[in-house]
Amino acid sequence: MRLDEFIEDFQRDEAADLRRLAAEKSYAITEYLDDVERQLDETVQGDALFGSTAPSIFVGRSNYPDVSTGLLSPVAGPETDPTDYVTSGEWYQQGYSIDDVFQRRTGLLNSTRSASVNVADVWDGFVGVQREVAIADEPVDVEIGLDGQPDLDVDLDDIGAPRGPRARARDAELAENPSVPLEVEKTLEDDDWRADGAMTYLYRRGFDVYEINKILSAGALGQGANRRLVPTRWSITAVDDTVGQYLRGTIRNANSIDTTEVRVNEYMGNTYWVIMTPGQWEFELVELKAPGSIWNPDPDAGMYMAADSEGYEGRTDYVDETSGAYYATRLAVLEHLQERGRQAKVLVVRHASPEYWAPVGVWQIREGVRHAFEQELGEAESFRDALTELAPHFPISLAQLRRKSEMVSGLQAQISDF
Amino acid sequence: MFNAIVSADTLRATLDSVSVLVDECKIHLTDEGIEIRAVDPANVGMVDLRLDAAAFESYETDGGIIGVNLSRLEEFAGMADAGQLIQLELDEETRKLHVQIDGLEGTLALIDPDSIRQEPDLPDLDLPATVVLEGKDIDRAVTAADMVSDHIALGVETDDEVFYVDAEGDTDDVHFELGRDDLIDLVAGDAHSLFSLDYLKDMNKAIPKDAEIEMELGEEFPVKMHFDIAEGDGTVTYMLAPRIQSD
Repeated sequence: MRLDEFIEDFQRDEAADLRRLAAEKSYAITEYLDDVERQLDETVQGDALFGSTAPSIFVGRSNYPDVSTGLLSPVAGPETDPTDYVTSGEWYQQGYSIDDVFQRRTGLLNSTRSASVNVADVWDGFVGVQREVAIADEPVDVEIGLDGQPDLDVDLDDIGAPRGPRARARDAELAENPSVPLEVEKTLEDDDWRADGAMTYLYRRGFDVYEINKILSAGALGQGANRRLVPTRWSITAVDDTVGQYLRGTIRNANSIDTTEVRVNEYMGNTYWVIMTPGQWEFELVELKAPGSIWNPDPDAGMYMAADSEGYEGRTDYVDETSGAYYATRLAVLEHLQERGRQAKVLVVRHASPEYWAPVGVWQIREGVRHAFEQELGEAESFRDALTELAPHFPISLAQLRRKSEMVSGLQAQISDF
Repeated sequence: MFNAIVSADTLRATLDSVSVLVDECKIHLTDEGIEIRAVDPANVGMVDLRLDAAAFESYETDGGIIGVNLSRLEEFAGMADAGQLIQLELDEETRKLHVQIDGLEGTLALIDPDSIRQEPDLPDLDLPATVVLEGKDIDRAVTAADMVSDHIALGVETDDEVFYVDAEGDTDDVHFELGRDDLIDLVAGDAHSLFSLDYLKDMNKAIPKDAEIEMELGEEFPVKMHFDIAEGDGTVTYMLAPRIQSD
């Protein structure tokens, strides 16, 4: 498809509707919390014993290395499917809106205890139960002794998914024997295996990053002495980065793509432009956060811009400006290139509009970019042509973008090009 | 056979100018001296170095190629004081380099030269502009640009006979220019190319501040920088591929 026809296809018309909806939605969360309170009253028995099916875990990062570690389990009755509450690529496929995410996450009780992150041999007690839940491939029936009333609130984070009510747990017990996949058994038993190698192994055996970060978070990967609980937020980025480095290695000597390709996808008020052009691997994420969107809430502020990039050899340090979004985006791009067995120079521009009214976690970015590759693509003569044609659709001018973006200012050539 | 004695300063300057780009390299041993040519893994920055036999206190070889791990050899060289002499002797049997500094002796395992990335061809470029300036001016330009940006434009204005440096960041700019009088020499020709500061910063580390640097520039072409080491008994050429703005 020619780039100009391609561009016409993504003219936005629903923006105004979404903006209006967004204004109403924040009230909806308060209502969800009321529902949760009612459901909790129904589910929690006299001595505060809470029976549920836990699909996942959460590890906090404050006060590291003594962290708050929790079991996540839905408060709604047995008719709900606990897997619906777990962050994964499925959420995108089922077309979850921001609202749906909040509805699920506010319905997920985080029963926590504080624990030391050093867990190499801990397989009993609360932390043991939590680790069993993390390595299981299906949600696990548990009974949790709660200590007092849950705190009904919502916690937001730019990387992890939102978190709903919290309660202090006295103890927890497994109500069934969890099923653990063979591959996970293997990584668990081999305490000589470095965590990055074990993560890559699981990925290659078909585990998605969502499952791997749950396992990593429970301290179930890595060399024996290094096994610790990993705060959920860190584990998400660690897995995206590690798997990304592996994928980048696989395309290191691959041929380049042949033409400049443009793709776009929109999800939850975010637009992702993915521009790939021939050449040796180079990657940049530029984030444009509109005034009035989350993380740039002042409607009178200018566009907030953030960018990070890497060259052929990758980065040696953590990104400065785009945090977990960088690694999530890069993963999605590298998955696509690896599948094609090609390398490319790739610029991703993310525009978070005011319709992105509440952060749902970095999964939204990962899936938004992954699914950009399922969209129709537009071809351009060159990277410069693609930018010139796309420029009127960007919320900032090309000149502003050039100042912010390493790749827009110039693409790295090689000595052998001359 | 290779047996040479060289001052610690000279050896360190030699190794540093290569190690800013690569971790390991091949050293060609010839009657005239040693030669090193290497390109970084991304094929963006390149170094071409020659150290004449005259730069050594004594120098004997019957030719050959050795592969070295630069940081290991730099560590050995770092054991010597500035004025001290370092003796390097190749043990053909064990393929190890015997290093001797005063009473200190050590052996350094060599790398199979065939396992080291192939040396690049030196592109034959006819660049329109040549600027000769002091190493400290390059340092100043790179440091200033680094305050505001990750890339730097180097150019020559033919009419005004000015060499300039531009860096544009998100919000801030830096502009630095040197006219004919500020330069040691200038052959004016239209030139403007953008470069990654990461590479230029690394090269800058190895450029002596008091040396004369001959810089060749073109329009969206690589920059070449030539300078002497070992009091003129050695030369280094860096070449850096540009970031292309027009594609």
